[in-house]
Amino acid sequence: MADLLSTGVSGLLAAQVGLSTVGHNVSNANTDGYSRQQVSFAARAPQQEGRYYVGTGVDTQAVQRAYSQYLNSALWSAASAQGRANAYQGLTGQLNNQLSGSSNLQSSLDSFFGSVQDVANAPADASARSVLLARAGGLASTFHALSGQFDSLGGQVQRQLADTVAAINSDSAGIAKLNERIRASTGQQPSDLLDQRDALIKKLSGEVGISVAPQNDGTLSVFVGNGQALVSGTQSYDLGTAPNTYDATRLEVVDKGTGAVLSSRIGGGTLGALLDFRSNVLDPAQNQLGRAALALADTFNAQHAQGVDLNGQLGGTFFNIAGPAVQAAGSNTGSATLTASISDIGALGSQDYVLSYDGSAWNLRDGSGATVAMTGTGTAADPFKAGGLSFTLGGGAANAGDSFRIQPTRNAAGGIGVAITDPNKVAAAAPLVGSAAGANTGNAAVGALTVADGSNPNLFTASSIVFSSPTSYSIDGGPAQTFTAGTPIVHNGWSLALSGSPANGDSFTVKANTNARGDNANALKLGAVANLGVLDGGATSVGGAYGQLVGQVGSAGSLADDAAKTQTAVYNQAMAAQQSVSGVNVDEEAANLVRFQQAYQASAQVINAANTVFNALLGAFKG
Amino acid sequence: MRVSTSWMQQQSVNTMMERQGDLSGIQTQMGTGKRINQPSDDPVGATRAVELTHLGADTDQYQRNITSANARLGLEDKTLSSVGNVLGRVRTLLLQGMNASQTAESRNDIATEMVQLRDQLLGMANSKDAQGDYIFAGNRTGAAPFVSQPGGVSYVGDQGQRMVAAGPGLQVATGDPGSAVFMDTLTGNGSFAVGAAAGNTGSALVGATGVTDASAWNGGNYQIVFTAPNAYEVRDSGGAVVSSGAYDPEKGGTIAFKGVQVAFSGTPAANDSFAVAPSSKQSMFDTLDGIIGALRQSTSETGLQNALGGQLANLDQAIGTVTQTRAGVGARMNALDQQGSLNGDLTLQYKTALSDVQDLNYYDAVSKLSLQSSALQAAQLTFSKLQNMTLFDYLK
Repeated sequence: MADLLSTGVSGLLAAQVGLSTVGHNVSNANTDGYSRQQVSFAARAPQQEGRYYVGTGVDTQAVQRAYSQYLNSALWSAASAQGRANAYQGLTGQLNNQLSGSSNLQSSLDSFFGSVQDVANAPADASARSVLLARAGGLASTFHALSGQFDSLGGQVQRQLADTVAAINSDSAGIAKLNERIRASTGQQPSDLLDQRDALIKKLSGEVGISVAPQNDGTLSVFVGNGQALVSGTQSYDLGTAPNTYDATRLEVVDKGTGAVLSSRIGGGTLGALLDFRSNVLDPAQNQLGRAALALADTFNAQHAQGVDLNGQLGGTFFNIAGPAVQAAGSNTGSATLTASISDIGALGSQDYVLSYDGSAWNLRDGSGATVAMTGTGTAADPFKAGGLSFTLGGGAANAGDSFRIQPTRNAAGGIGVAITDPNKVAAAAPLVGSAAGANTGNAAVGALTVADGSNPNLFTASSIVFSSPTSYSIDGGPAQTFTAGTPIVHNGWSLALSGSPANGDSFTVKANTNARGDNANALKLGAVANLGVLDGGATSVGGAYGQLVGQVGSAGSLADDAAKTQTAVYNQAMAAQQSVSGVNVDEEAANLVRFQQAYQASAQVINAANTVFNALLGAFKG
Repeated sequence: MRVSTSWMQQQSVNTMMERQGDLSGIQTQMGTGKRINQPSDDPVGATRAVELTHLGADTDQYQRNITSANARLGLEDKTLSSVGNVLGRVRTLLLQGMNASQTAESRNDIATEMVQLRDQLLGMANSKDAQGDYIFAGNRTGAAPFVSQPGGVSYVGDQGQRMVAAGPGLQVATGDPGSAVFMDTLTGNGSFAVGAAAGNTGSALVGATGVTDASAWNGGNYQIVFTAPNAYEVRDSGGAVVSSGAYDPEKGGTIAFKGVQVAFSGTPAANDSFAVAPSSKQSMFDTLDGIIGALRQSTSETGLQNALGGQLANLDQAIGTVTQTRAGVGARMNALDQQGSLNGDLTLQYKTALSDVQDLNYYDAVSKLSLQSSALQAAQLTFSKLQNMTLFDYLK
C-alpha cells in the first residue's frame, strides 16, 4: 500500500509552495515590471500494486512567471514611442510658451514702423526722430530676447542630451550585469532576474529607440540606431557626447569607443526626441527668426541709403546685422577658406548648407543632405551662387573631403543692432529732385529718381537732360545718348525713370534736394517697408516671416501634443495587454490563497488520518 | 479579461490626471479670455491672429497719420482763409481807389493801408505750424520761404509737397508749396493780359477781356493800335495786321480777333496802343506793389485807371488761386475723412475677426467646464468605489 503519510506530506509541501507564491505575488503586486508567478503541479509517479496503480501524491513542477515575449516587445516599442512623444511635447511646449509671451515680434515691428510714419508726419521733429531710434532699439531687443530664449532652450537640450546619454550608459551596464547573472543561473528560469532585466529594457526604450535580440545562452543583445550595440552578452558599450565637427559648442551623440557620430541615426525615446527637436524645430525656428531679422535689416538699410538725413548726407547703415556664418570642419586638411554673403534676399531660405570638396569639384548640400545646384566657379569675380547666397573660396588649395558649413541666418537675430545714435541721421528726405521744364511739349514726366551709386562724388551736382529728338538726349551738353522708353537714365550715380514720351527740345533737371528738412519722401518709403514683400521671391514681408515662424512652431507643438496623446493611448493599451497576462490581480491571489490554504488543511487532515490509521493498527496489537 | 489590480488603479489615476489637465486648460482659457494661449493651441489661428493684429496696428497708424494731416491741412485752410480776407480788403480799397472822386492825398492814404496789408500777407505766407515748420515752404520748412527784398518778395522754398500715408496705397498731400499759392498767379484773365502803352494820350480804358474761342487763340503777342479815334488795327509781333475795324468812341465797343475779345470805353487818341500779351506769372506781392505804385503815381487819370484795372484783374486771379487752393485743401480733408471712416470700419472688422479667431466663447467654455468637472468627479468616484472592493475584505 502506498504511503499515505508521504502522500499527505507531498500535498502539504505543494500547498506551502502555492501559498509562498501567492504571498510573493501579493507582496509584489505594485512592483514595477514584476510578472506574476504560477506554480504548476503534477501527480507523482504511481506505485504499482499488483493489478492497479496507487497514487503517491503531488510534485511541484515549476514556479514560472506568466509572460508573453510578444506583448513585452510591443510594450518596449510603445514605451520608446511614448518616451519620444512626451519629451518632444515638453520641448515644443516650452518653445510655444516663448512665442506666446510678451516678446511678440509683430507688436515690436508695428510700433517701430508706426514711429517711422510719425517721422514721415513731422520729418524735422527731433522728438519723432528720437522715438524712432528708441523703437528701433526696442525692436532689436525683441529679436535678441527671442533669439536668446531659443539659445537657452538649445542649451537645455544639450544638458538633457548629456544626462540622457549617462542614463542610457548606466542602464546598458545594468542589463549587461543581469545578462551575466541570468547566464550563470542553472536549472529553472530565474523569474525575478528576468523581470528586472525586462524592466530595465523598458526603461532604456523610453530613453532611446532600441532593438532587442535574444541569444541562445539566455542573454539579450540590445542595439541602437542601425546596429550599434549597446549590450552584447555580458558586455555593455557606452555612448558619449562630442563636439560637432563644425561647431565646438554643439554636442553630438557618438559611440564612445570609436567616436563615430550617431546623432542622425538615433530615433525614438527621449534621446531621439532631443535630437529631432533640435534639428527639426529649434534650428529652423532660429533660422526663420534670423531670416526675418535679415530681411528687415537688408530692406530697411537699402531704403535708408536712398534718402538724405538732416545734415544733407546720404542715409547710412540703419541696422547692423551679422551675415552668414561659415564654419570649417575640424577635419579639414587643406588650407582653403570660404566666405559667404547674401546676394538675393528674396531667394534666401531658412536652410543651413554644407559645401564639400570631393577632390575635383565642390558640392553644396542642404540640411536634409540633398544636393543643391550652384552656378559660378567660386572666385571673387564669379562666386558660387545658390539659394540667394554667394560663396567665394580663398586661401590655399582644398583637399578631398574638406567641407564648410554655412548658416546663412542663424546668428542674424541675435546680432541685430541699431547703427545710428544721432536722430539727425535718420534719412527721411529724398536726396535729389527731378523736374521737367515748364516749356516741355512732350508728355514725359519725372518718375522714380533713385540713388544707384551713393559713392559717386558728383551725385549732388545739378544736371540737365535735353532731348534732341524723342529717342535721343544729352546730359549737360555731353554726347548724344539713345533714350529707350522704360529704361532709366543713369548719370552721376543717380537713376531717373521717365514716364510718357519726351518731345524734341524737352528738358529735365536733376539736382540736390537742398535744405529740405520738411521732406518726408524717403520716410514714407521706409514706412512702406513694413508691408513690402521681401522674402520668398517677394511674397513674404518681414512680419509675414514672423507669422510663418509662429505657424511652424505652433504646428510642431500641436502635432507634438497630438502625438503625445496618441502614444500615451498606445502605451496604455500595450501596458493593459501585458498586464492582463503578467499583472497581479489581488482578488485572484485571494482566491488562490483560500485554495492553497484549504489544500494545506486537507493535506494536514490526510496526515492526521494516516496517524489515526497507524494508531488504530498499534492499538490492535496492544489489544 | 484579466486585469492587474495595480494597473487598474494606475488607470484610474491616469484618467483623473487627464481630466485635471483638461480642467486646467479650460481654467487658463477662462482666465485669459482667449482660446489661443500659445501658438500650438491653433497654429493656423495663431498665424492669423498675428496678421490681424498687424493689420489693426497698421490701420491705427493710418488714423494717427490722418489726424496729423488734418491738423496741417486745417492750419493751411485757416491761413488761406485769412489770406482771402486780406485780399478782399485789398480789393475793396482798390475799387475805392479807382473811384474818380479820389484825390491824390486820399489815394496815398489808401496806399498806406495797403502797405500794412502787404506786410500782413507776408506774415501769413511765412506761417509756421505747431512744430515750427513753415507751412508754405515746400520741403524747406526750416527757413522763412518768403523774403522781402528791395525788388519785391522772392520765394526761397521749393516745390515739394509733403504726403501722408492715409491708407494702404493712399497718399494725400498735406500742404501746398507757397510758390503755387502766392507766387505763380497768372496775370490778366489767365490767358492774356492787356496793358495800355505809357504814351497813350486818349482816354480809352480797357474793360472786360475774355477768350471766346480757345481753339483760335494762339497765345501770341499782339498790339491793338487805334489808327484814329474810331478805327483800330490788331498787329502781330511782326507788325502785320491780323484784324482791323471801326470803333465807336461814344458808346465804346468790343474788339475781337483770334478768338479773344477786349472791351474798350472812352475815346482813344490816334496811335494810342494797347498790348495784348499771354498771361505770365506774377506774385501776389508784386500785384500789391503794382497797386500801391499806381495809387501813388501822379500821371493821368486814364493811365491810373488802366493800371489799376490791369492790377484788379491780377488781384482777382490771386483771389481765385487762394479760393482754388482752399477748395483743394477741403477736398483733401474730405478724402482723409472718408479714408478715416473707412479705416474705422476696417479697425472694427479686424477687431471682430481677431476676436473670432482668438477669443474664448464663454458659453462654450462654461459648458465644457461643467462637463469636465463632472467627468473628474465621476473618475474620482469610480476610484473610491474600486478601492473598497477586494476579496480580502470578505476573508475575515
